[in-house]
Amino acid sequence: MSNHAKPLSIRDALYEQPGPRTRRRVAIGTAVSAVLALIGIGLIVRQFYITGQLAPRYWTFLAQPTTWLYLLQGFRGTVSVALTSGVLALILGLLLMLGRTSGIKPLSAVCRVVTDFFRGVPSLLLIYFFFLVVPQYGIKLSSFWMITLPVTLAASGVLAEVMRAGVNAVPRGQVEAAMSLGMRPARIMFKIVLPQAIRFVIPSLISQLVVVVKDTTVAYVVSYPDLMQNARVLITNYDALVSMYFTVAIIYILLNYAINKLSGFVAERMGVKIIR
Amino acid sequence: MGLSELLSTYGQDYLTALLTTWWMTAVAFAFVMVLSIAVTVMRVSPLRPLRLVGDFYVQVFRNIPGVALLIIIVYALPNLRVVLDYSTCVIVTVILMGSAFGSENFMSGINTIGVGQIEAARSLGLTFTQIIWKIVIPQALRSAVLPMTNLLIAVMLSTSLGSQVPMSPDELTGVVSFINTRSTGGILAFLIAALGYVGTAAVIGFVGNRLDKKVRILR
Repeated sequence: MSNHAKPLSIRDALYEQPGPRTRRRVAIGTAVSAVLALIGIGLIVRQFYITGQLAPRYWTFLAQPTTWLYLLQGFRGTVSVALTSGVLALILGLLLMLGRTSGIKPLSAVCRVVTDFFRGVPSLLLIYFFFLVVPQYGIKLSSFWMITLPVTLAASGVLAEVMRAGVNAVPRGQVEAAMSLGMRPARIMFKIVLPQAIRFVIPSLISQLVVVVKDTTVAYVVSYPDLMQNARVLITNYDALVSMYFTVAIIYILLNYAINKLSGFVAERMGVKIIR
Repeated sequence: MGLSELLSTYGQDYLTALLTTWWMTAVAFAFVMVLSIAVTVMRVSPLRPLRLVGDFYVQVFRNIPGVALLIIIVYALPNLRVVLDYSTCVIVTVILMGSAFGSENFMSGINTIGVGQIEAARSLGLTFTQIIWKIVIPQALRSAVLPMTNLLIAVMLSTSLGSQVPMSPDELTGVVSFINTRSTGGILAFLIAALGYVGTAAVIGFVGNRLDKKVRILR
């Protein structure tokens, strides 16, 4: 068992090398569970069929390029909200983290409260705040900012904590060494701690983008034309609700899956762990 | 609208909403735990099809946006003759998403144990059942306390999806949108609901941290 090319995963390590009887049992179990899984898939397809959802009129519009162009437009909306929020949240999160670790008591307390607040409030509540409450004070925001700002705030709390975890991962001895060399706290932070901390958390920051993308899907509340909103328009045009919603869901799943894979890939290359 | 006016008019609504949020969170989290264990068992079983189904389940439900899943359950499933009432739809959405993350937590709990311990246990002559019950599960549960605390908070936050469907009674986010569409509740109307969430999250986090300190394995 010792000369495996790949390190043994814990999943496989749990089981001994099977003997003939176990091997037979596993084979039977595999066959039975495969059949059960296929029956499950079959039942789902059958439900689609008997309710008429497999009828071509629900699916042919997906073959038209205009459909995909329109969805692509929405996708661009999603990406621009997600990236803007991501960048703004990165800056805000960094400021919150710096404030919290600054050692100035009042500033640190304020940043802590703000961080915990944005982490403890659902992003939908923040979206309603910008959609319903902010206009009451006579502030007019475009629908882009009405979705981008709440998503930014919700993400900044989490990012601040992720970056703080990165700062804590920098060995304490380095800070002490820098202090004994007579460096000032701010200089230590920016020259020694932060460059390493950021490196530690890059994969975690990438994986947080998934949360941002998920949060942007409520853009229809403020009628911002993102992927979901454009899909809703297509649904009213083609009267094809089930097929459209499933298609859009798959697009989102693939996008987020890709982001997670990228984060895992970067983490492996840099040899760091993903903090969630 | 001042605080006293707001509370005298909508105080009861807020209270009911907070209790609704708590209730939905509790129900959803109970199911999340059961389902995460089931999915995790599938994912570590020696049967390939079960592993595939488990992995697929987790990838789908941890990557789908909550709103997209809710919309599918509310609007698409009735076309497939699966009709649930609104609050059940929200709870089912939260359970499906939560259990994917829950299973991930258990899996990383199992992964921290290390292959060496399993091999050591086997060389001592422990049977498979003994290894699972005496070595794997106790350690996996202990190291899952903190992630599960965070998951409980995430489950609570995602019950805010209830504001996207007509529910009665409303939950905490729904009640804010309800109040603000009827009168100008202002920033206070929002802050009261936010306080409900932040307060609950703080209590959960505090208890979770205490529990984690008690059971954590120092490595």
